[in-house]
Amino acid sequence: MSASLIQNASAFDAGIEAAFVARSAPNEAQAAAFDRFSKMRLPNRRLEGWRWSDFSAALRAAEFEDATGDVAIAPSAFADLEPLEIQIVNGRVILPEESTVEGAAFGVIDSMATIPDLETHAIVSLNVAMNRKAFGLQVDDGVILARPILIRHIVDSGAPVFAQTLLRIGVGANVQLIETYEGEGAPLYSHLCHMALRDKARFHRFVLQDTGPRAVMHALCAPKVDGGAHFDQTTLSIGARLARHETVLHYVAENAFASIDSAALLKDERHSDISTYVLHKAEACETRQVHKGVARDRGRNVFQGKFHVERPAQKTDAKMTANALLLSEGAEANHKPELEIYADDVECAHGSTVGALDDDALFYLRQRGLDEASARALLVEAFVGEVIESIENDDVREVFAARVADWLAQS
Amino acid sequence: MLNINDLHVAIDGNEIIKGLTLNVPAGEVHAIMGPNGSGKSTLSYTVAGRDDYEATGGAVTLDGADVLDLDPDERAARGLFLSFQHPMEIPGVQTMNFIRTAMNAQRKARGEDEISAADFIRLVREKSKLVGLDDAKLKRQFNVGFSGGEKKRMEMLQMAMFEPRFAIMDETDSGLDIDALKMVGEVVNALRGPDRGFLVITHYQRLLDYIKPDAVHVLAGGRIVKSGGPELAQTLEESGYEQFIEAA
Repeated sequence: MSASLIQNASAFDAGIEAAFVARSAPNEAQAAAFDRFSKMRLPNRRLEGWRWSDFSAALRAAEFEDATGDVAIAPSAFADLEPLEIQIVNGRVILPEESTVEGAAFGVIDSMATIPDLETHAIVSLNVAMNRKAFGLQVDDGVILARPILIRHIVDSGAPVFAQTLLRIGVGANVQLIETYEGEGAPLYSHLCHMALRDKARFHRFVLQDTGPRAVMHALCAPKVDGGAHFDQTTLSIGARLARHETVLHYVAENAFASIDSAALLKDERHSDISTYVLHKAEACETRQVHKGVARDRGRNVFQGKFHVERPAQKTDAKMTANALLLSEGAEANHKPELEIYADDVECAHGSTVGALDDDALFYLRQRGLDEASARALLVEAFVGEVIESIENDDVREVFAARVADWLAQS
Repeated sequence: MLNINDLHVAIDGNEIIKGLTLNVPAGEVHAIMGPNGSGKSTLSYTVAGRDDYEATGGAVTLDGADVLDLDPDERAARGLFLSFQHPMEIPGVQTMNFIRTAMNAQRKARGEDEISAADFIRLVREKSKLVGLDDAKLKRQFNVGFSGGEKKRMEMLQMAMFEPRFAIMDETDSGLDIDALKMVGEVVNALRGPDRGFLVITHYQRLLDYIKPDAVHVLAGGRIVKSGGPELAQTLEESGYEQFIEAA
């Protein structure tokens, strides 16, 4: 390439530029997004917010190969819930056979070419530059979807893959979305989910990060939460080589509620990063956040949570707790809970702990007859239980709990 | 039944138990009384197999078999039960599930069948009535938010359900009111039998009004300094431990 946009390009940079050029003609906004990415490049550990998750280092030497052929797709662990199943296989959207759902419209639509709040985010900029199409779902006002929506991100590719989902949940509508990340991964899988949650809507999002150990992936969900709406999210991550799940939530009107829970179970060299930013712009919104991270071997649990409360957001009530359990000498936990508050009549709190299994509890359980492995497993299960047990949907909770049990059995 | 012979125990290199010998035959209840710091809890933890409680000499056998080389869960499976002085709160662990899991783990280790769900429920209903714990408590996380007295009732519930061969009760009476003491007495007396033994560790004589011991031992300075019948407890209540601390 003669006139490279990217200075001192790494193998990743050169490859991604070639991929961008090879894409069908970008519109102006997409070209501008790529330009922004070219200047920012992949985030590295010198950047605030990326200190513990260095995508630049992880991908610097990544050589791209042609995308692999067919990907074998097993039935989903959530199949028994009879969800409306959408597969995004190496970025390609595969819609379910049934083409209509009463009160909702879905399909492949043009992707977002810019997200104004996130223009300084390098991976988001790259995502909007590279995408042409997105999966779109619109749920009409007042509609309660009886079946959950399941979006399966299935990735097994030698080249970076980008996906977008755009959701619009109508006034008073009620929707449950399950998102799974599966497969061996790619040299960067990037998923951007943008959603508008209208007044008094209720939205549940369940995320299961369950890729192979070599995957490098970034998923960002950006909900705009309107007055009286209710956003409820639970993420279970078993990590990957590098797996970062970001949530950037904006309350745009008063009396809304969000619960943002996460659990990470990490072994070998797996790395999970749960990073959230909640912007309270309107009065009397309530946020509850619990994170539980468990790491053994050389697993690494990263949690960064920030509540940003602007001056008009009086009567904000926001609480954040992050607890990590380290089961091996080489395991690591990095927590950064943050409050930035400009309003004076608010209740905000955060707490963070990192520790090992409690010897007293372990002895108690063993005195009652549990062998060491069972006693440890029970305590770890109990530790993440606060997050898993709070899932209101019984069927979803069972699948999550089974995945936890499975992880414990393999440990 | 439980035979402790010239036991020495050190924690972090400090010898706490210094040549303790004690034999509790099957069918008997023995009480150990003693001042604070005399080694009562060290003795119970050592017999139950807690890490860091290292027997540096002597032997402990249950039914003639050495227990010091066994893991705590193996000792539990052989029927050794410890009622903890300070029972743990275990957040996130549902009480009924835990008791059933523990019961089945012991049964499995002994080569017995698991208890059926129906039998378990029947048993837990019956025994929880005996110890005075209501259903709501059993549905909660294990001991979370329980009062000191409720935690002791939970210990007694497990003892009643497991029907251990040998139970060590480490200051089960501390923090209990008269009604609760009576309950402890009822649980022990119901379990008393020719195949079972108890070691009741206590500061005070009052629990022994409800559990009539076959023998009373005074532990001071890491050894048994005096043994006698039930009347010894009464003497101690009146004259205190001072004479024994000096003797030790």
